[in-house]
Amino acid sequence: MLRYVVRRLVMLLGIVVVISIGSFYLIHLLPGDPAAVILGTGDTPANRAILYKQLGLDRPMVVQYFIWLRNILHGNFGISFISQTSVASTIRAALPIDLELILLSQILAFAAAIPLAMRSARKPDGFVDRILGAGSFTLLSIPPFIIIVLLVLVISIKLGIPNTGPSSYVSLGTDWIVNLESLTLPAITLAIGSFVLYYRVLRSDLIATLQEEFITVARSKGISRRRIMWRHAFRPSSVALLGSAGVNIGGLLASGFVVEYLLAIPGLGYTLIAAINASDYLLVQGIVLVVSVGVVVINFFFDFVINIVDPRISRE
Amino acid sequence: MSEVPLLEVRDLAVTFETAGGPLPAVSGVSFTVGPNETLGIVGESGSGKTVLARSIMGLQPRARVTTTGSVRLNGSETVGASEAELRRLWSTEVAMIFQDPMTALNPVMRVGKQIDETLRVRLGMSRPAAKARAIELLEMVGIPSPAQRYDAYPGQLSGGMRQRVVIAAALACTPKLLLADEPTTGLDVTIQAQILNLLDDLKDRLHMSVVLITHDLGVVATRTSHLAVMYAGRIVEFGATRDVFARHRMPYTRALLESSPRVANPSHTRLAAIPGRPPNLLTLGEGCAFAPRCAYASERCHVERPPLSAPDAAGHTFACWNPLTEESR
Repeated sequence: MLRYVVRRLVMLLGIVVVISIGSFYLIHLLPGDPAAVILGTGDTPANRAILYKQLGLDRPMVVQYFIWLRNILHGNFGISFISQTSVASTIRAALPIDLELILLSQILAFAAAIPLAMRSARKPDGFVDRILGAGSFTLLSIPPFIIIVLLVLVISIKLGIPNTGPSSYVSLGTDWIVNLESLTLPAITLAIGSFVLYYRVLRSDLIATLQEEFITVARSKGISRRRIMWRHAFRPSSVALLGSAGVNIGGLLASGFVVEYLLAIPGLGYTLIAAINASDYLLVQGIVLVVSVGVVVINFFFDFVINIVDPRISRE
Repeated sequence: MSEVPLLEVRDLAVTFETAGGPLPAVSGVSFTVGPNETLGIVGESGSGKTVLARSIMGLQPRARVTTTGSVRLNGSETVGASEAELRRLWSTEVAMIFQDPMTALNPVMRVGKQIDETLRVRLGMSRPAAKARAIELLEMVGIPSPAQRYDAYPGQLSGGMRQRVVIAAALACTPKLLLADEPTTGLDVTIQAQILNLLDDLKDRLHMSVVLITHDLGVVATRTSHLAVMYAGRIVEFGATRDVFARHRMPYTRALLESSPRVANPSHTRLAAIPGRPPNLLTLGEGCAFAPRCAYASERCHVERPPLSAPDAAGHTFACWNPLTEESR
C-alpha cells in the first residue's frame, strides 16, 4: 500500500511538472508581444530592449521557466498587465466559490444517486427501476443551459429564492444563508449531470455484485437485505463509481464554467471567460495552471480512495 | 433414524420456468435427518444436489421457481416461508457451507468482520465480544495466529484457509444443522481430507447434524451414517451408508461406485466411466431417467418410472424395476 502511494505520488509530481511546462509555454504560443501592449505608443526597438531586460525576457527560455516556476511556488503568479492586480489574489478570491459549488453539487448528487441506485438494483427492471431509468435519461438529454432556465423559473421565481449576481455575491463566512441561496441554483444544475452518471454506474455495478455468491452467503447468515446492500454490496460496487467521480469532478471544474457564466457566479469559470475576453494572458495562465493541477490532484485522491475501498487493486 | 427428526423433507419438488419449458430440477424428494446424524447426498453434476440444498435453506430465488412439498427444520416449515421467517432460522438453526471458498467470501471485507457480523446481527453481541468470539472460532477451525488473520482480506488467504473461514462463519451461531454443499470441490486433494476431518470433528464437538453433498463417494464412505443417491433430480437409492455401499440395488449406484478409484485395485486399473450423459431434464420421458444409460434396462424401464421401494428393516430403499441381486452385484 505504502509503495503504491509513493509510486503514485512520484507520478503525480511528474504530471504536475509537465502541466507547469505546458502552462508556461501557453503564454509564448499566444500571438502578439506583451512588450507592445505595455509600451503602447512608446514602442520603439530601444524601449523594447530595455523592457525585455527589465522583464527578463532576454534570457534563455529554460532560465525564464525556472524563474517563473520559483515565483509560482512562492504563490506569485504575477501582476496582470490589464487590471494591474495580482493574479494570485484574483484566483484566491474565485477558487473557494468553485470548491464550495462543487462540494455542494457532489453532496446533492451522491445523496440522491446512492439510495436510488440501491432501490433500483433491488429489483432490476421493476417498476421503480424503469421509472428512475427513464427519468435519469430525460435529465441526461436536457442540456444544462435549459436546466438552468427551468430552475430559475421554479426556484427563483416560483419559490422566491433569490439568485444573486457577481456584484451581490457574499462569501460563506460573511452570510451563509445568502451564500447558500445564491449557490442553490448552480449546485443543483451541476448536481443533475453528476447524479445521472453516479446513479447509472452504481446501479449496474450493484446489480452485478448482488449476483455474487458471497451475497447469497451473507443472506444465508440471516443478515437483513438493507445491511447486505450497505455492508456487502455497496463497497465492492463503488470502484467504478469513485473512478467516474474523480473524472467527473475534474470535468466539473471545466464544465462549471458555463453554469457560472450563465448565472453570473464570480468563480474561476466566470473569471476565466472574462480574462479571455480581456486578453489577460497572465490570469488565463494562472487559472489554467490551478485548474489542471486541481484535476490531477482530485484524480489522485480518488485513486487513493479506490485503493482503500478495494484492497485487491494495490495488491495486484 | 432417530425419534425426532431435525430435518424432515417431504415430496420436495423444485421446478424452474425456462424458455424451453418447466425444468424439474428436484422431484419427489423425501428424507429425514435426526440429531447428530450425517446424511450424504451423492450424484453427478446436474443431478439437483445444490438446488436441493438451497431449497432446504429456502435460499432459492423465488422468481420463475416453483417449490412444492414440505421442508421442516426443527419443526419450522421453510417452503413458502417469508424471508423474515427464514432469517430467524438461518445461522442459529441451519447454516450452509458453499462450494467455492474463492467466491463465498466478500473480497473487500476483512475475514474477521465476516464472522463477527453474524454474531452481532444474530446474537446481538457487542463489538469486542463478537471479535473475541470470532478469533476463538478462527482458532477452532485450525487457523494459525487467528488474531492476525482476523484482519486479513480473503485474497491474502489460501483456498483451504478461506474454506476454514467459511466454516467458522457458518458455525458462528452453532447451528443444529449444517448443509455442506461440495465443501472440498474447489480445494487441493491434500487439503480436502483436512477440511473433511475438521467438519467431522466439529460435528461431534458442536452436536450438529450434517448434510454432506458431494459427487465423490470416497468422501461420504466413512463420514456419513446415511446415504442418498440422486439422479436427475430424484433420490434413486437411500439407506445406511454401509448398506448402500455393500448391498446397493440400483444399477446407477453401482455405476457410480465403479467409477470411483479404489486403493484395493491394482495400479493402472481402468476406471469404468458411466456411458452416455446425464439426461436433459426438459425432455424427461415417462420411464426411468437412467434407463438410456443402464445395462439392465428392460422394456418397462423406458415407459414407466420405478417408484422408491418400501424400505426394508434397515430403511434401505431404491427405485428400480430390475434391482441388482447378490449374484448380479
